[in-house]
Amino acid sequence: MPYLDMQGITRLYPENGVLANDHVDFSVERNEIHAVVGENGAGKTTLMKILYGLERPDEGRILLDGREADLHSPLDAHRLGIGMVHQHFRLIPEFTIAENVVLGVEPRRRGVFFDREGAVSDVRAVIEEYGFTIDPGLRVSRLTVGQMQLVEIIKILYRRADLLILDEPTSVLTEQQIHKLFDTLRSLRDIGKTIIIITHKLGEVKAISQRVTVMRKGQVVAVRDTAAVDERELSRLMVGKSVSFAFEREPVPRGRAVLELQGVVLLQKGQDHPLLDHVDLSVHAGEIVGVAGVSGNGLAELEDVVTGLRRVSEGRILHDGRDITRLDARHLRRHGLAYVPADRLHRGSSLQSSVMENMIIAAHHDFLKGGVFRRQEVEDFARRLKEGFSIDGDPRVPIGTLSGGNIQKVILSRELASKTDFIIFSEPTWGLDVASSEFIYSRILEIRKEGNAVLLISSNLDEIMGLADTLVVMYRGRVVARLENGPGVSKELVGEYMLGLRDDFEGEPR
Amino acid sequence: MRRRKPLGELFAGATGLALTLGIAFAIAVLLIFTLSRRPMNTIYYFFVGPFTNKYYFGNMLNTSIPLVFTGLGIAVAFKSSVFNLGGEGQVYSGALVGTAICLALPAAGGYLGGAAALAGALATGAVLAGLSGFFRMKWGTDELISSFLISAAVIFIVNYFITGPLDDPGNNLLATRAIGEQYRLLGIFPPSKLDVSAVFSLLAAGLVFFLMYYTHWGYEMRMCGLNREFSRYGGINVSAYIVLPMILSGALHGLAGGVAILGTYHMAVKEFSGGMGWNGIAVALIAKNHPLGVVPAAVFFAYLDAGAKAAMLHSDVTFEIAAVVQSVIFYLVTAQALYSAVRRRAGAPA
Repeated sequence: MPYLDMQGITRLYPENGVLANDHVDFSVERNEIHAVVGENGAGKTTLMKILYGLERPDEGRILLDGREADLHSPLDAHRLGIGMVHQHFRLIPEFTIAENVVLGVEPRRRGVFFDREGAVSDVRAVIEEYGFTIDPGLRVSRLTVGQMQLVEIIKILYRRADLLILDEPTSVLTEQQIHKLFDTLRSLRDIGKTIIIITHKLGEVKAISQRVTVMRKGQVVAVRDTAAVDERELSRLMVGKSVSFAFEREPVPRGRAVLELQGVVLLQKGQDHPLLDHVDLSVHAGEIVGVAGVSGNGLAELEDVVTGLRRVSEGRILHDGRDITRLDARHLRRHGLAYVPADRLHRGSSLQSSVMENMIIAAHHDFLKGGVFRRQEVEDFARRLKEGFSIDGDPRVPIGTLSGGNIQKVILSRELASKTDFIIFSEPTWGLDVASSEFIYSRILEIRKEGNAVLLISSNLDEIMGLADTLVVMYRGRVVARLENGPGVSKELVGEYMLGLRDDFEGEPR
Repeated sequence: MRRRKPLGELFAGATGLALTLGIAFAIAVLLIFTLSRRPMNTIYYFFVGPFTNKYYFGNMLNTSIPLVFTGLGIAVAFKSSVFNLGGEGQVYSGALVGTAICLALPAAGGYLGGAAALAGALATGAVLAGLSGFFRMKWGTDELISSFLISAAVIFIVNYFITGPLDDPGNNLLATRAIGEQYRLLGIFPPSKLDVSAVFSLLAAGLVFFLMYYTHWGYEMRMCGLNREFSRYGGINVSAYIVLPMILSGALHGLAGGVAILGTYHMAVKEFSGGMGWNGIAVALIAKNHPLGVVPAAVFFAYLDAGAKAAMLHSDVTFEIAAVVQSVIFYLVTAQALYSAVRRRAGAPA
């Protein structure tokens, strides 16, 4: 009998109609380190949130030690001995390690007063019990990321957890820190703990786990003994077979280089490797360049840098040969920047403002007469966009009341209305239904046909393989592949580059 | 520019406000019954007093005038998500500069001199608040703190001028000399102190409303207030919209001080404007930062004030009791305004 047995777990997000978990069966033996792998949006995190009581499944049940577990909140999970280390640390930097660890279950004196000495000695006892070496009196703000992660682990051990869930624990760590973490995890397993580790990195799966569950599009596609599977096969299982694409890319003559990045570097304090590492990229008129990568490998940073929302540390960005490196979004808009952002709810729209007000954000200067808006023109413009993109809903209502697909159409209509020769799309169909996605794909191909340069940043491989003329793959902030899209380029190959399994790309191939 | 009637925002939640008002008045009546020996008399003067004669009524409206200006100043800032807590100092220094200009000018030229005084008052407030905005843009200093601190310091500087260099020795008050007759604003409702600046305040509310909802600057300010990231993405100069709303807010506060001098007080008396700045925040809260809502909110505030004064004069309530009743009503109304603001924020689709 498995230690943990999740049966037929189903979870539908009604807001966007995404079936995050589709009758998932997932089981873990006592005393094993079990890896869960899958692309972004495969449903790993949802499954773990259900196990940790953060979300309720629509269907299915969870057996722990053979008994049905009723998980309504993380408190229930703690009671049953389940602890979770989130991808983003949940620590208070101004507090000491001991204060962070006991937060929520503080030892008290006479029922009301926080027992600081008690907290320190309790936490020290836990640290010694598990053979760690760290001073519980240190302030968290002074720790390294590796140490912060250890604090998160101590936090769940302090609560006497037997089942530890780690969500992408290595994404912020250096090589040495990862080794140290793995040593810790192994010793925890040896003393009887059970560990579930979510990761994108296949090398780590091989290094640490006994078994691995592969998820894709909300379903479990394989459960394997790690020793009996190689990284290529895991990669193939993760990305799946290519889906045939409904659109034909007509050949379009490739024009001048419209957007160029030359040796762009982006550094951040506290990070030892650059977020963008000498990125070279060019997008020509009539060309769609698709940038693929697993999240956390520089895609979001690339988006910010080319749209002027973040300053590069080194390197140059050119538009039609003119240097635009130091211009911010405001100036780039004047150069004709059109940009559909990945974060469409905060960056792409102002939810409390009307659809109309959202539509004119970039072009509102065109509707002025002496600083006052010409209402009729604004309304005509809004009606044109609404009809042209079949957007449901009155342009006067707050955009936050529309569905995700309609919000994206508003953003798209607005960005395409600007006079431009290059446009940036980031995750244009993320979370959208099939009909909305296809609508957006057909628009992207139209823009290309009109001879514009398109930069498409996406973690959805099917989308990139279906649309892009040139594929660029990013891994750890570097461009690791630049491929002409064609029959010779398989999804498996791109997947291997994305996951860092191949590193044979050197410089410009032209 | 937007066909969803901006006025609609004003009336949304009016029923909620009416309910709160009802409860507030009920509690006030209850308090008066326990604290006053002639409760019916007190209640009459408290609630009806301000309407019993032209003098009370006019003075009530007159009290609301600076509150309209300061309320507008706060509404403009809050709509743009910047915080101006320096209203007190901006009003007070605006009043001082307005007075000083009137005193310095040659006796001739009434209209022009008055206009110059108001312009000076406006500029003083604008500079003081603008400084905080500028510091925020330049060094990231929190404008909420810096505007408060600058204002607190400026109050002492103004006190120095009123009690020192500009003090009128021929007068027992801690005050400057009175400004010339020719600069004083025309009374329009004798025997009360109500003057033409009532019209100015209505004009100001209309102008601010037009600015916020019909012009390019208002649109950019509101967009920055609602979502700065979106505004930056859309190509708006977001750092300018930290400074600009502060300048505008300060200008309206300075104007409040200038108008109070030219219309009502005719001389800068030490600490005469105390409360005008803070009460502006309350007025803006009640009005939910809507420029046109500021006018009734300011009148309501002035009404509470006038009622308390009338009850003190004609019945047995002391200043303390009047203040307690006044604050109960006021707290309930602001709590309601705050509550719906919080609910709006929390209920916003994520």
